[in-house]
Amino acid sequence: MSAIPLQQSLDGSADPLAALLAQVAEGRRDAFESLYRQTSATMLGICLRVLRDREEAEDVLQEVYVAVWSKAAQFDQQRARAMTWLGTIARNRAIDRVRARPSPALHEPIEDHELADDEAPTPAAGIDAALERAQLDDCMDQLEPKRRSLIRTAFFENVTYDVLALRAEAPLGSVKSWIRRGLQQLKACLER
Amino acid sequence: MNDIAPALPPIDDDDLLAGEYALGVLDPDARRATQRRIDADRDFAARVARWDAHFSPWLLRVDAVEPGAQVWPRIRTSLGWSAVEGHRKGLWDNAAFWRGTTALAVAASVFAVAIGVWRTPEPAAPVPPPVVVVQPPPATDEAAALPVTVLATDDGNTGWIARVAPDRSKVLMVPKPRPLDAGGKVNELWIIASGEAPKSLGFVSNDKAHSIDIPATLRDAVAAGAVFAVTLEPEQGLPHAAPSGPVVAKGQILSI
Repeated sequence: MSAIPLQQSLDGSADPLAALLAQVAEGRRDAFESLYRQTSATMLGICLRVLRDREEAEDVLQEVYVAVWSKAAQFDQQRARAMTWLGTIARNRAIDRVRARPSPALHEPIEDHELADDEAPTPAAGIDAALERAQLDDCMDQLEPKRRSLIRTAFFENVTYDVLALRAEAPLGSVKSWIRRGLQQLKACLER
Repeated sequence: MNDIAPALPPIDDDDLLAGEYALGVLDPDARRATQRRIDADRDFAARVARWDAHFSPWLLRVDAVEPGAQVWPRIRTSLGWSAVEGHRKGLWDNAAFWRGTTALAVAASVFAVAIGVWRTPEPAAPVPPPVVVVQPPPATDEAAALPVTVLATDDGNTGWIARVAPDRSKVLMVPKPRPLDAGGKVNELWIIASGEAPKSLGFVSNDKAHSIDIPATLRDAVAAGAVFAVTLEPEQGLPHAAPSGPVVAKGQILSI
């Protein structure tokens, strides 16, 4: 029983997108189109949250799927859920794009991203996703407010250390150490 | 260190760097260097993936937004494929198949039998009754030219096949089954005569073939050169005076 790797027992074959990705890795264009139809709306949502510009977000979306076609073989079901793998590619490409813009947003104050949309996770998201979310929320709640707020802002506004420091009106070194300390604490909580 | 937190297990620098990368806080140089490392170092890539999994509840808590119809063809083009599915098209997307008289007669009859539409016998019946379906259609010019209009979606796939009765009293709409609109909207069929505003022909199903009566006032508009279009519209108020939603599929009538 304990021989089953954790990820597999969590995900097992219950990740239909992972099966599609495996077919995409074999060069199946029909699988690639299905993957696009099933995931592109979420993926565009991810790009839009970073870029806040529809046209640019669709540009990045295009890049992302071209990358997915060539990188599908690198997807490892033992390591990640397919939607997380895909969404992470989208977020990272969108961040690269937003950072390439002439002037980043420096002026908005730090807000506490309490995420008002705390509706119950949809059944479709699956029990594992619901558990992971509860765990992340729980571990974030254990952080000291300043660290929690900085980590949330970093994630949801995709800003770098320098911008965070400017916006928090705190020395860069302090911001770095708050975030690193927060990450360390978060990891200890999430992986215990 | 004046933290109240009890002694934390030490975090190794690689894990910390992986976490900073996943969070997105690294400055551009450090970020690029980290990306190169991810590509080159499997162990490090696994550490980043673990952080990505930790943050995935935030990543995926996002409003889904349907991309525009032009994105998929652009992806195909970027990959060096044709913008629309070419020789790998299924029969559904092959207009030649649909223009083939025997195939059309068989297909339409199958739908007619299955769904019980298109019952009205007509002098110039476009569809032979089911009992004679196995017979090839008479080899007259008329039969050989049984025309259909393909309503194509933006990505070039077939959305519906339209077949107008020779007396223009009705049009048989055969959909390529598609999912219902998530927003609860329905498909509405329009006829657009050259240079004129669209006129509604009412509801058209997303998954069942059915015939739609063409009001006498619109029969003249249903002619070669006019365009059939399907848009997504609220169910309430059908048929509408004018379209308000996006075009789902359209096709020009070549002949009737």
